[in-house]
Parts: sequence; structure tokens; C-alpha cells
Amino acid sequence: MSVKILNKLLLTIGVISLLHAAYSAAQYRTFLRITEQDSSQLPFDIVLQALVSLFVIVYNIIQVVGDFKEIRAAVELQEKTWETLSNIPSFYIFNHRGKALAPNYVPPSGSGKADLSSAD
Amino acid sequence: MSYNYEELSWSDVKDMLRKWRETTDRKSESIVQLWEAVLEEKMGKLGNERHIILEQVVIAALDCGRMDIADKCMKELIAEFPDSMRVHRLKAMRFEMLESYDKALEILDGIIKKDETNPSARKRKVAILKAKGMNLEAIAEICDYLTKFMSDQEAWHELCNLYLQEADFEKAVFCMEELLLHNPHSYLLHLRIADIRYTMGGTENMETAKSYYLYAIKLNPTNLRALYGLYLCCLHITNSKTVLAKRKEAQTLGQWALTQISEKNSKRKSKTSNKYIAALDSAFANMDIKGK
Repeated sequence: MSVKILNKLLLTIGVISLLHAAYSAAQYRTFLRITEQDSSQLPFDIVLQALVSLFVIVYNIIQVVGDFKEIRAAVELQEKTWETLSNIPSFYIFNHRGKALAPNYVPPSGSGKADLSSAD
Repeated sequence: MSYNYEELSWSDVKDMLRKWRETTDRKSESIVQLWEAVLEEKMGKLGNERHIILEQVVIAALDCGRMDIADKCMKELIAEFPDSMRVHRLKAMRFEMLESYDKALEILDGIIKKDETNPSARKRKVAILKAKGMNLEAIAEICDYLTKFMSDQEAWHELCNLYLQEADFEKAVFCMEELLLHNPHSYLLHLRIADIRYTMGGTENMETAKSYYLYAIKLNPTNLRALYGLYLCCLHITNSKTVLAKRKEAQTLGQWALTQISEKNSKRKSKTSNKYIAALDSAFANMDIKGK
């Protein structure tokens, strides 16, 4: 849990740092224009800050968002069990012994034997 | 199963119900209990899952014969969606539970008339035939359904179950193979086909069953059912009158399966206490002596 919070914190710091790098780059550009210097390259520290904060963001976003799914198709299917294989919700039928679980269940009248013979 | 309700928060229960919906567990009694104990008071908090949970609870309540709960939840749904086909289907299911199948059929036919492409109503009609015990008619109905909705996996599966009940193994295998085309990586389907082939018997079927078991083991190496099935198949082939080379091969394969099984068993045994199993073993040994 604390790891999650740390990840979220790092993510926020990363985003702020990336924005800061962008702001610094813009500042640097205006500085160049004012002093009428000519350079197409950004200073190394701004580039480094941008790259580092990008990687921090990418890593922490992956940690925060959630678990990955297994790439092999069989792994997910391994979790299914034999017991639930034949349970098909669209074809449930309700006249089974589960009825007797109801608190207001009234057992059918007459002895079991009579029922059997009438069913034949 | 019973749960300690005080320890469960409503969101835990919500997650549990969702898991059961996804894995199609038929835990109707637990669902009804959890609904009564935890979720019913929190109905307003369920958000966009509310309706699907209500539907789940209605079906579970019908499954347990709890008409009171089913009616209460259904009232909520009817008040919100008076014309919904899905709610109409639930009404039909309620009549099914009360065993007034004619009324249920009336509602279902009404749904199909309004919306001819509604698969769930047609499936319920099959279920009604099944509930009446008319398996052959159910098979005819579901075959008719499958000519219209050929890619419905649930229906193929149900058809397979019905054929198995009628002991028509050839056709059951056909249905399973159809499912396998949809889901080639599911070890359970391979296992199913292997089991059916094994039940059919005969050397040729044993060979097929063996390869399906092997594939199931490949997809899920920890599956004991597949290993034991493989062992039984190999035993069968070793004792049959096939070519010697094949018998030899089956024997080694059977041995391998057996060692795998005992390895897994010994792992499991070391987790539980050995003492009881030893006591059980000695008890069985005594029985053997008496038998002789």
C-alpha cells in the first residue's frame, strides 16, 4: 500500500519536473532572443531533466495503473476450474432440490412412495 | 458456505459477486445470504453495477426458492424498466420456478415476437423443456437455435451436456470440438473431450483420449485430472492387443504420469500432516488383510 502511495508521489513529482523542464526551455528561448544569440541546441541540464522525468513518469504510471495481463493465452484459462465448466447461466433450471432451502418450503404432501408410483 | 458478515464490507461483497458472475459459479445460496446480510441496505451505493447485481440476486433467489427476495428485487427492476426484455425474461423465469411453464412460455414467445434476434428468450425455452425432463425435445430445440445462432458457445456446451445425459457420445464430442475451435487454449475443453473419448472406450478412442490428455497437460501442467486420465489411458493401451511398440510407449508414458502424480501428491502431503495419512494407510492395509 505504501509502495502505491510512493509511486503516486513520484508520478506527481515527475509531471511537475517535466513541466518545469518545458518552462525552462521556453525561458531559455526568450533569453536567447533577447540577447540575440543564435543556437539551436538546448542546454544539457534541461534535456537531462526532461528525459529523467519522462522515465520516472512512465515507470510510475505503469506501477499505479494496475497489473498486467499474462501474454500467454493459456495462463488465464488455467485458472478456470472443472466445477464451473458445465455451469451455464442461460440454461439454469429451477425445479431442483434447492427449493427445499427456502424457509417457507412446504414439502409435497403424501408419502414418498406414493409420489414415485404416480410419477411412473 | 457461510461468511463472517461483520468482517465483510459491502465493496468486498460487490467484488465477490462480480467474480462469481465472471466465472459463472453457481453460488446461489451464498449470493442470497450475502444480499440479505450486507448488500440490501447499501443498494443506493452500488452505482452502475446495481441493476446487474439485482438481476444476479433475482436468479440466485429463484434458484434457492426464495420467492420473497426475488419478488422484492424484481419490483425494483420492473419499476425502472417496465418494457425491458431482460426484465420480461426474469418474469418468465419466475413462472418457471413456480412450475407454471405455460405462462412462462407465453412471456418468452411474446419477447421473441417483439425481438426475433433475442437469444436469451430462446435459450430459456430450451431450459423449460429441460426442466420438464423432455431432453430429446430440448435437443431438437437447441439444434434449431444453433442453426440461427451458430457462434453461441454456451448453447454448444449445453447441447453437449444434453447429449451426454442421453449417452450420445459421438455427438457430444462433436459439440465439444466445435467449442474447441472457439477456444483452442482452454485445457478444460481438451480434458472434457478426452474424458468423453475415454468413456466411449475402444483402442482407437483411447489413443485419441491420450493425445487430448497430453495436450491438456501441456496447457496446464499442474492438472491432476489430466495426469490421472493419461495414466488410465496408458494402462488401457498397455493391456490391449495393439502393436508391441505402441504398448511399450504407453507403458513408459503411464509410468511418467504416475511419477508426476506421486510427486504432486507428496508435495501436498508434506503440507498437511503426515501422521493422519499414515494412520489411514495402516487402516487400509488392515482392510486388505481381512479381505484376503
